[in-house]
Amino acid sequence: MRKNWKMCAIGTVVASSLALAGCSSNSGASGGMGTEPSASSGGAVKASGFPIVDQPIKLKMFTRTAPVNGPFKDMPVFQDYEKLSNVQVEFTEAPTDGFQEKKNLLFASNELPDALYRSGLSQLETTRYGAAGQLIPHEDLIDQYAPNLKQLMEQYPEIRSGITTPEGHIYAIPGIVTLAAARTDKKWINQAWLDKLNLKVPETTDDLYNVLVAFRDQDPNGNGKKDELPMTARAPVAGQGLPILAMMSGSFGLDMQFGYNINLENDKVNIWMGSDRNKEMLMYLNKLYTEKLLDPEMFSQKEADYLAKQGSGNTGFFFDQTNNNFLPIQDQYVGIAPPKGPHGDRLQSHGAPVARDFGAFAITSVNKYPDVTMRWIDYFYSDEGATLLRFGREGENYEVKDGIPYYTQAFLDTGNQSKITPYAGGGAPHLISEKVASFINPPQVQEAQKQLDPYMPKVRYAAPMFDEATAQKVNVLRNDLDKYYEEQSTKFIAGALGFDKWDEFQATLKKLKIDELQQIYQDAYDKQAK
Amino acid sequence: MESVQAKAPAAAPVGRKRQGGGLLRRIGKRYDLYLMLLLPLAWYLIFHYGPLYGLQIAFKNFNPGKGIMGSEWVGLEHFQRFFESFYFKRLLWNTLSINLLSLLIAFPVPILLALIVNELRSKSFSKWLQNITFIPHFMSVVVIVGILSVFLSPSTGPVNKLIEWLGGEPIRFMESAGWFKTIFISSNIWQNMGWQSIIYIAALSGVNPQLYEAAKMDGASRLRRIWHVSLPGIVPVIVILLILDIGHFMDVGFEKILLMQNNLNLETSDVISTFVYTTGILKGEYSYTAAIGLFNSLINLTLLLLVNRFARKTAETSLW
Repeated sequence: MRKNWKMCAIGTVVASSLALAGCSSNSGASGGMGTEPSASSGGAVKASGFPIVDQPIKLKMFTRTAPVNGPFKDMPVFQDYEKLSNVQVEFTEAPTDGFQEKKNLLFASNELPDALYRSGLSQLETTRYGAAGQLIPHEDLIDQYAPNLKQLMEQYPEIRSGITTPEGHIYAIPGIVTLAAARTDKKWINQAWLDKLNLKVPETTDDLYNVLVAFRDQDPNGNGKKDELPMTARAPVAGQGLPILAMMSGSFGLDMQFGYNINLENDKVNIWMGSDRNKEMLMYLNKLYTEKLLDPEMFSQKEADYLAKQGSGNTGFFFDQTNNNFLPIQDQYVGIAPPKGPHGDRLQSHGAPVARDFGAFAITSVNKYPDVTMRWIDYFYSDEGATLLRFGREGENYEVKDGIPYYTQAFLDTGNQSKITPYAGGGAPHLISEKVASFINPPQVQEAQKQLDPYMPKVRYAAPMFDEATAQKVNVLRNDLDKYYEEQSTKFIAGALGFDKWDEFQATLKKLKIDELQQIYQDAYDKQAK
Repeated sequence: MESVQAKAPAAAPVGRKRQGGGLLRRIGKRYDLYLMLLLPLAWYLIFHYGPLYGLQIAFKNFNPGKGIMGSEWVGLEHFQRFFESFYFKRLLWNTLSINLLSLLIAFPVPILLALIVNELRSKSFSKWLQNITFIPHFMSVVVIVGILSVFLSPSTGPVNKLIEWLGGEPIRFMESAGWFKTIFISSNIWQNMGWQSIIYIAALSGVNPQLYEAAKMDGASRLRRIWHVSLPGIVPVIVILLILDIGHFMDVGFEKILLMQNNLNLETSDVISTFVYTTGILKGEYSYTAAIGLFNSLINLTLLLLVNRFARKTAETSLW
């Protein structure tokens, strides 16, 4: 028996030390992998044309699925592209709810897939994981293997500056949107109700208030009940700001530069969260809220609830990029310009840069075929690839009229449109241009965009790329600040906090070092301006 | 099961004298029993002591690429950041107050329920009562929170319908900081009292019936019997359960709070565990939140030790 015991003990020790060795060698390798070219890999990549490799290879990718999507393996784009490219992609799907959590755990446990698809990595995440060696530098790969993407980056230089770290690395590829209408949320108002009540399209914030009051009181849907919902907006996602503020801030002279609550005046960065203008905006929204003009469920509703309200036809005023969620009743609605605020401001503050979906695709250090992977993704930055991604198969899903693909009516009638394409639900790494936008940019949406166009800011700065140390500092500051701002502004709007507490609110922002954050953004701007 | 634990320390000193040197020999003799012990031991080692190794990231700037050992050492920086954080006071206060209130209000309820069940003459009614109070325990937290928001909905919920019918204004219960703790704790009681009363009911059935008979002979009323026979009979169990409860004093129902949380009730619903989740997992600040978690556990441990000591001195019952 004793002998057995000893054997057992030795066995355990050996096994555990092996396991430990395995761990450490693993992490060591992943640090260095990135810089080595993958010449040793079996699949020799072809410089151009299809298939990308002669011998089929397999890649594992981690992706997000939106509630509207079907399984990725059933999507025609991935089935057909696999045949075309000889690259077989195995997707690990995580639903939108809980995606952030799963993604971070992948990195924290260092159990990486070959690439992250539709990953929505933040600036901080890319710099952090890039510096850690978990994401490899993409810039050389783009130069060599991504002609489409490279061309886009030359055409729109702001893409490159928006995704390159101060050290000169690119750790993730964005989704690129050259179609302006896909970078803004339109302001949809119920034209049918306006007509019925003999009202004009609201031009100012006061007009808007009066119109909403009329929607509430004068029974525009004609059922004799006061059940109309005058105005609603998307519910906030923790840490990403209140959508209603981004939608309304332009009327109060508050811009959204650098993807944050920032005004840019004479080369001076001004974070406006504690400004008097913001107080005016919050007071205005508070008025709407207390008079039951603003949806009381706005702060807690689910995305599905919000979309259902769009489609119900019983909503007066709301915000969305397209008309796709209320197609059956689209004639009721019309897109309007931002209303003019009390100080004459009229600005479309909400809008995304050309590289709209930052961090949409990234190659990790465990990937044995980074070159193949780069060529694989690059296809989707061509009109041809984007068409395949967004429209599926010609004949079965779409037809071409005047060189532009349209879904066939027969296919739309099946109701499966959003199931067959990974773009539905947002954030897919590909090119959205005029060519592939017949569905999301029909005449009604184009009209709505035209209403916004005159009020767009001259330059729209994307969120700046900081070096790792600064990014960490920004993260620490913004964790506290954003949480505080979101909570307090929700309370101001809902009336849970009186405006007599405004001074206290301003003082707390100061205490949370809003000035230090402003200085960091100022430095980033100065660097960019040079 | 708990009563067995309670009696164990009493038996221990006798065994200890015989222990002496021959531990290994005795293991050899009864190897089959010790082999059975291996499994739980391994479970503890792998899942409870193994992860302790990762605790060091609380003192480092954890960088997943460099691994736990390779990350740079920063000492107490993360603790300092937490103590100086704007949210520190609020998090600590909410965590403590929710627990303290739970302990004061929710802890006695299962005991009362057990006493009632024990006193019921009709067996079928007491079974029925037990089942009814038991069932909510098996519902998932998501369902419970769903039920809460349906019942408390300001436009369609029955509670607000009743308030309106009585002439009041509907209250937005789920979006009000003032109501959060009330709703949280009372729904916890509703959900768990049946389940938690099982142990007390079991302990009550172990009380010697002769004591009741004797009390009856002496003319003790029903309440007197509960006070002087039933309660003292289950005090050791109560104390043990109290100590165990204190042991996870700081881990409030994380999922439930997270599900009930929104910007409007954050003032009272923001607790350490949800803060760890939202900043740690969602924003990838592993080291910072590991430090917060460690701080949390230290408070737990201290409380456990204090209460255990106190219980040993006063009630002569303790975990060890």
